[in-house]
Amino acid sequence: MKRSTLFRRPAAAPLDTGRQGDFGYLQPGEIYLDAACQSLRPQPVIDALTDYYTTYNACGGRVKYAWGQKVDRSVADTRQAVLGLLGLSAKNYAVSFTLNTTFGLNLLLQQLPLGRFDRVVTSHIEHNSVFLPTITAARRLGVERLVLDRATDGALLYEPAQLEKAVVVVNAASNIDGRRLTNLADLVRDTHARGGIVIVDAAQAMGHGRDLLQKTEADAVCFSAHKMYGASLGVVVARHDLLTSLELGFVGGGMVQDVREEDFDLVQGDPAALLEPGLQAWGEIIALGRAIQWLGTIRPGGLAPAEYLGALSVRLHDGLAAIPGLTLMAPEPSPVISVYAPAQDSHRLAVFLSHSRISVRSGYFCAHHYLKEQLGLPPLLRFSLGLHSTESDIDTATQALARLMKGLS
Amino acid sequence: MFCIAAFIILVIMAAFSAKYRRYVGTAWNCTWRRVTFRPCDTTFKQDIKDHLLAPVAVRRPGLVKPASVGLEILAVLVLLTTIWSGYTVVKSAVNLYVYGTCNKQDSASCTLGAEACSIPDETPGFMESLGEFDVLGAFGNEFASLGETFAAIPARFQTWTSEDYLPANASYLTEDAANPVAVEVIDPGCTFCKALFQNIEESGFEQNYNLTYIAYPIAGTDGYKFPNSLLVTQYLEALRLHPVDGAETPVDWQVLERIFTEKAETGLPWQETINSMDADEAAATLVDWLGEFGLSADQIDVIVTEAGSETVADVIAANKTLVEEEIATVKIPTIIFDGRRHDGLVSVDGLQ
Repeated sequence: MKRSTLFRRPAAAPLDTGRQGDFGYLQPGEIYLDAACQSLRPQPVIDALTDYYTTYNACGGRVKYAWGQKVDRSVADTRQAVLGLLGLSAKNYAVSFTLNTTFGLNLLLQQLPLGRFDRVVTSHIEHNSVFLPTITAARRLGVERLVLDRATDGALLYEPAQLEKAVVVVNAASNIDGRRLTNLADLVRDTHARGGIVIVDAAQAMGHGRDLLQKTEADAVCFSAHKMYGASLGVVVARHDLLTSLELGFVGGGMVQDVREEDFDLVQGDPAALLEPGLQAWGEIIALGRAIQWLGTIRPGGLAPAEYLGALSVRLHDGLAAIPGLTLMAPEPSPVISVYAPAQDSHRLAVFLSHSRISVRSGYFCAHHYLKEQLGLPPLLRFSLGLHSTESDIDTATQALARLMKGLS
Repeated sequence: MFCIAAFIILVIMAAFSAKYRRYVGTAWNCTWRRVTFRPCDTTFKQDIKDHLLAPVAVRRPGLVKPASVGLEILAVLVLLTTIWSGYTVVKSAVNLYVYGTCNKQDSASCTLGAEACSIPDETPGFMESLGEFDVLGAFGNEFASLGETFAAIPARFQTWTSEDYLPANASYLTEDAANPVAVEVIDPGCTFCKALFQNIEESGFEQNYNLTYIAYPIAGTDGYKFPNSLLVTQYLEALRLHPVDGAETPVDWQVLERIFTEKAETGLPWQETINSMDADEAAATLVDWLGEFGLSADQIDVIVTEAGSETVADVIAANKTLVEEEIATVKIPTIIFDGRRHDGLVSVDGLQ
């Protein structure tokens, strides 16, 4: 009698040999396609973090012993590496570490000086990390808030007058469809010309779209190390003058050089410290330095990371576009592709795919206003690629989804 | 519906495995919303369903829809069976308290109560009525029975006075004006009545109480539960109507004593022997016994004639009413003494 295959697990898909190496710890058959939320960490980054914990697990900043001094040197190297990654100079910019992108954006927006700005400008497609703090910041500053459209190529659609003394907060790359802020340079120029500032949410851009941010003159760039192969950490790269203009309400040890009964003196000559109250995540900072180093040397399939991901993005886009009943959110390939099937529940699809060990995201991806309120869409399904991804991953995932769509329809 | 079913199942599973306990709170929130007529947390419902359907979806996506419908039906069934189970538990507990048996319709089938021969309830059961597509009758009978049970609760609190339930022409195993009265309801064919009689003798109960009985032949689906119980009862009542002067123990009690304590020549107890006889054999045996107990041929003729009389039939009918409507027991034997009604077999200790 033929045995039923109904409750038998499908055989694991063969792994591309390309995954062996820095992501070799992935179990055979595991397909992770949620790098937009958190990228997988390559082995060298894991090793760097483990090395810190196991060989020089000390505080930085206030320590005279060898371990602490090693930490200080490594942290300083990471700050320099971050600036180097963006082509920025320590003369004008400082690198602060915090919890994540959301926290970094809040640290800036909730401490902006009162009276200096007339409006807060953002766009509809923003992640809640931008969308929500711009609401509270506008309330605190007592100014209007403009929510602008973005073009299909990602450019912010604005009239120059709308940037008058504006705090502009926008993402460099969308976490929904990967569209990029193609007019960033113009936006910065026009905003500065009218007395405003630009704060960039680079959470999705730092991993695979840094070219857009090279030598940017934006006033601040916020991103998350955990979306660019580092450990869990937030990073704020900001101009010195922006940092020193903040009306600090969030203070603590590490930011001051002297404290009296009713007052204190902030540290001088270290603007980065203004956003770093309390003990820092030393190990994670050090691991970020290693991740930046790794990004500079990795050659998946003999290609530059951007080229490699570009090819995978096309494959993923084409694979998804070929599935009947599926609507893609963006016409162009990108490492982040969201889709929805009007007749199917995305959460259900995600659960079903998960049973085949395919991890994809479902929901509104913290962009409720744009996807749910403005476009009136049902929850979406998101596929996001990382440097651990392989052609086999993509083919397996798209085939599994196609089979589900066909069977469920 | 699905949330409630999931909650029920998770509560049971959480009792055995800690990994399910984290979901119980979520399921409860969802259930609470449902029972307060608000929309269920659809995320929870969907999550549970999707995870259950995932193995099917991966192998046979086309089966997801029918499987989903199946899950909904299963959820309804789980809910209904849980409600029914809860109802049954409550009903059984109340029955146990009121009647001494968790199953009023067939008291002998309930192992929680004292051993007894049950008085079958002729009313069709719930499932039986449903089987006959009598939905109204099913619910009507069920709730009528429940109402009857609840109405009988006060009876458990009352003080039972044996004298209030004496049958006509009561005869006593022993009689002492100083002793209180005890009344037992018995069927001569019921093995637990035999056991009770033996306990009574072993405990010396009859020395402390003036014990009498109500003979109650238990009705069966076709006649009587024990085929010769009515015949024996007729003779017992006839003997009570015509007591033999000078007998140390009333002759009807002697008949009962023989049935309950003695054995036939075959070695089998008389009760079992009588139960297996046809009516003629049983009648002949009883007549023989009357001779053995000292009745003359004329006296025996009187008893035999009286046993088949309208008078005896009326007495038996009156006793039936007394048992079913006033004492309202569903278990035989039942014995009333010491201000209480004891349903079923009472142990030697209980009698002491």
